[in-house]
Amino acid sequence: MIEVKDIHKQFGRKKVLNGVSFTIEKGEISCLVGVNGVGKTTILNAIMNLTPVKKGSVTIDGETLVPALYNKIAFIPDASISLPHFTIQESMDFMNDYYDTWNARRAKDILKFFRLNASDKLRDLSKGNQAKVNLLLGLALDVEYILMDEPFSGIDIFTREQITEVFSSYLVEDRGVLITTHEINDIEHLLDKVILLDEGKIYKEFNAEHMRETEGKSVIDVMREVYTG
Amino acid sequence: MSVTFNKRDPIYLQVMTHLKKQIVSGELKPGVEMPSRRQLANQLKINPNTVQRAYSEMEEQRLIFTEPNKPSRISEDPNVLNQLKKEWLNQAITRFVSAIDPIDMDLEDLMPMIEQELANRKKAQK
Repeated sequence: MIEVKDIHKQFGRKKVLNGVSFTIEKGEISCLVGVNGVGKTTILNAIMNLTPVKKGSVTIDGETLVPALYNKIAFIPDASISLPHFTIQESMDFMNDYYDTWNARRAKDILKFFRLNASDKLRDLSKGNQAKVNLLLGLALDVEYILMDEPFSGIDIFTREQITEVFSSYLVEDRGVLITTHEINDIEHLLDKVILLDEGKIYKEFNAEHMRETEGKSVIDVMREVYTG
Repeated sequence: MSVTFNKRDPIYLQVMTHLKKQIVSGELKPGVEMPSRRQLANQLKINPNTVQRAYSEMEEQRLIFTEPNKPSRISEDPNVLNQLKKEWLNQAITRFVSAIDPIDMDLEDLMPMIEQELANRKKAQK
């Protein structure tokens, strides 16, 4: 379990995170939801120690997250993690050289799963295929937790469908997954936990299936109450 | 196989209804192996934990059974299967009656219409 506890973050005078706490469990898909600019990416950056936080802590399986433990986590940012003049194969080789946790066999499986061509150069790919390469490079790492920042933003519906398939596949089996998104419409069925972020705080955290069962509400229903109510 | 889920009812119940329908229709025959929870989750594009929940509930209702280290299978117990058919029929009748209830109609006028619909369906299936 990754536990984020009471993190605070300020950019200049602007408070972005104001005491954010939540957990990411293994074997579950959690989703951090919030409108644009609400601090989702900042939270992921805080977990990955890419941005200093004023207060608060992040632990992984009870231990403070120190650099040595980052090999348990893959972070897949919104932007490309590889270089535009690299081919997909070169990007994979690069990962292989730099990460002990790189799993070449799984990388090959994912390549097939996404129907990508290893000799294509990244800069020649469509935005959707670039997003797939990004996912490939993260998912092929043998890690226990995967954080994905906006894996669905700005891509076409068919790519979106292909990417959602990842979440019910063995590619994330038994791993703890956290994704951020501002559009939840066609991924509701895939989620275990939903964390709604509003004005730098967790507004509500709930299990999607439990919400349907006890209150008869969809995730969108709850979001509507929070963001427009 | 494709199922459209609605967003407000628990998905595990919708999965159970989907599987029960396949059992009563004979599409899933007694004793056949069920797909693994991940296979089914992937086919239906839903969360594997949800499929797990549906399987557990169906196990509790004895509609499926699992021997150690083997895939789950559809029950072969005729009592359980008859009970399921009865339950399915009761629910269908409740829905049907509540749908036609607002229209004042005699059962004897209704019967030929039901027969006609059944005949049409059989023809369409051929």
